[in-house]
Amino acid sequence: MTPASLRQASLTRRLLLWVLAALLLVWAGFAAVGWRTGVHEAGELTDGQLASTAALMLNLDLPPFVEASRETARAVIPSLKNHDYQPSLSVLVRDAGGRVLARSGDAPLAPFSEQAGFADLALGTPPALWRSFSQWDATHARQVMVLVRADERDELASDVAGQLAEPGLWLLPAVAIALCIAIWRGLRPLQALSRDVAELEVDKAERLQARHPYREFNSVVRSINTLMGQQQASLERERQLASEVAHELRTPLSSIALQAASLRGELSPAAREQALAQIGADAMRAGHVITQLLALARASRSDLQQQMQRLDLGALASQVVAGYAQASWESGHTLSVQGEDGLEVLGHPLLLELALRNLVDNALQHTPRSTFICVQWGRDAAGAWLQVCDDGTTAGVAGEELASHSPERLGLGHKIVSRVMDVHGGHFAQIPAPMPFTRCYRMVLPLIP
Amino acid sequence: MRILVVEDDAGIALGLRTNLQQRGYAVDACASLAAAWTALCTEPFDLVLLDLGLADGDGGDLLLQLRHARKALPDPLTPVLIMTARDQVADRISGLNLGADDYLVKPFDLDELEARMRALLRRAAGRAHPLLVHGELVVDPAARTVLRAGEGVELAPREFTLLLLLLESRGRVLSRQQLEARLYNWQDAVGSNAIEVHVHHLRRKLGEGLIQTMRGVGYFIPQDERA
Repeated sequence: MTPASLRQASLTRRLLLWVLAALLLVWAGFAAVGWRTGVHEAGELTDGQLASTAALMLNLDLPPFVEASRETARAVIPSLKNHDYQPSLSVLVRDAGGRVLARSGDAPLAPFSEQAGFADLALGTPPALWRSFSQWDATHARQVMVLVRADERDELASDVAGQLAEPGLWLLPAVAIALCIAIWRGLRPLQALSRDVAELEVDKAERLQARHPYREFNSVVRSINTLMGQQQASLERERQLASEVAHELRTPLSSIALQAASLRGELSPAAREQALAQIGADAMRAGHVITQLLALARASRSDLQQQMQRLDLGALASQVVAGYAQASWESGHTLSVQGEDGLEVLGHPLLLELALRNLVDNALQHTPRSTFICVQWGRDAAGAWLQVCDDGTTAGVAGEELASHSPERLGLGHKIVSRVMDVHGGHFAQIPAPMPFTRCYRMVLPLIP
Repeated sequence: MRILVVEDDAGIALGLRTNLQQRGYAVDACASLAAAWTALCTEPFDLVLLDLGLADGDGGDLLLQLRHARKALPDPLTPVLIMTARDQVADRISGLNLGADDYLVKPFDLDELEARMRALLRRAAGRAHPLLVHGELVVDPAARTVLRAGEGVELAPREFTLLLLLLESRGRVLSRQQLEARLYNWQDAVGSNAIEVHVHHLRRKLGEGLIQTMRGVGYFIPQDERA
């Protein structure tokens, strides 16, 4: 692990902290409740003991108590720790006038009070806190008061509460360690997934394997594989495009290099002229490829979406075709337009014109003389369409004339049209040509809602 | 040496033809697979320069067809050098696996192309050494020079090619038709005694005993007994 990754937040660590914090909170609550219950129960026990002793003493026909010096000390009971559960009770018996009839234990003499029941009294010098219970007999002639030291009661309470809370103290670290191990083991599939994702290589057409069977991962694995697929398809498209661009540029450059080499040798004037003309034509061709590349780069800009406007497809087609009048006349092609009037789409005028020009260019360059080329437009369920069809055929065409039909030459132009259609949310494809045409390329655009 | 250029780009085909002709090769160019196959079936070529992306198909198909040829023409062992703009490693591997002898990516240096062509021609003739040595004669096909007993001899391009053909076929008789087919392309006007004239010039420059005539059959250079 690198220092940077150590500094980064860890889900395992976070989960552990939260679980330990929750555990600590629960344990603290348990200890607090246990302590309070212990204290409360110890107080109840003590009070119950006082009350039962008072009741017992009250119903006895009491003989005079023995002198304090002759009182028997508390017996040691080994099973009771330090006599915790054998409190030092004091008993005080008075008549109705408050005169002490009998007294036992080491409690200081409490002031007489007519009131019966439990009370907390500060007795002696220095004052110490005592818990007392007073009760009169049925004739109200005799009062019995039973007392116990408050600190004895508190010690008992602490002992009971401590006994209740102590197991929690031992369990806390054990449970914490067990939870840590459980969380670490439980998160191992997630760590494995994370490791696999980190090791994915787009270039090698890799996929996340099916070794992550947990359904919680299904959507993540599916999404990552989908993204990888998209990324790989995108890389493949870019590779194809680069290959096509390389081909388009290398061909005229190769030709220029060869013509230049031939000009260095002996050539007849006619051959020299031909080589020079070929260099000029190849340079123009390379320039055209660069123009196409620039157009392709512009067509890839996403902000073009915001520059859409309503366009009349018929007007656009007529304008583009009119621009090819001279070129088609020189190359011996027949150009025409055909479609319904007033069909409008939402589009980027320059890009749509560029796409259409590419298709018309291709048709002119890659079909023999006398080919009929028609730009058509219309609408159907899929949307508005604009297509370029031709009746060009390769049958009976001489080899030299076939030369310009190479499918590799069509690639870049078609890529540009596809990109333009992507920007418009449409698509581009070759479709089965309707009679009398032999080839048809169609752009489909969304209709204006 | 007769070369068939199969290339659909008119500029490249023209450039190759002009340059290779300037360097003494007889060059014919075809722009389609069909035309190239017809040419291969009718004339013997020493080497084919093949483009892959052609109008009527992939050059690889022509290569496969050539390598599986059964008749005398086309010769299935004709060396083929692929020259294409496809530069991916996978394309090169695929081209070589189809049976190409070499692969060159456009644009290429003409000298490199010729060096590769010479290597292929040398390999096809069963030679490993770049120089042809016959007695006191040393021929360097790359530099297009001839030394006789250490002295340089000036030869015209066709004379040089004729000497090369005969040296590479030492001990075998080559008919006048065979020599014409490998010295001239379709466009060249060939006189009825053109080969005789070239042989005469070679004998004058290199000695009467070098090239032997087998009357009614053709010409040959005997194997060098000292070799």
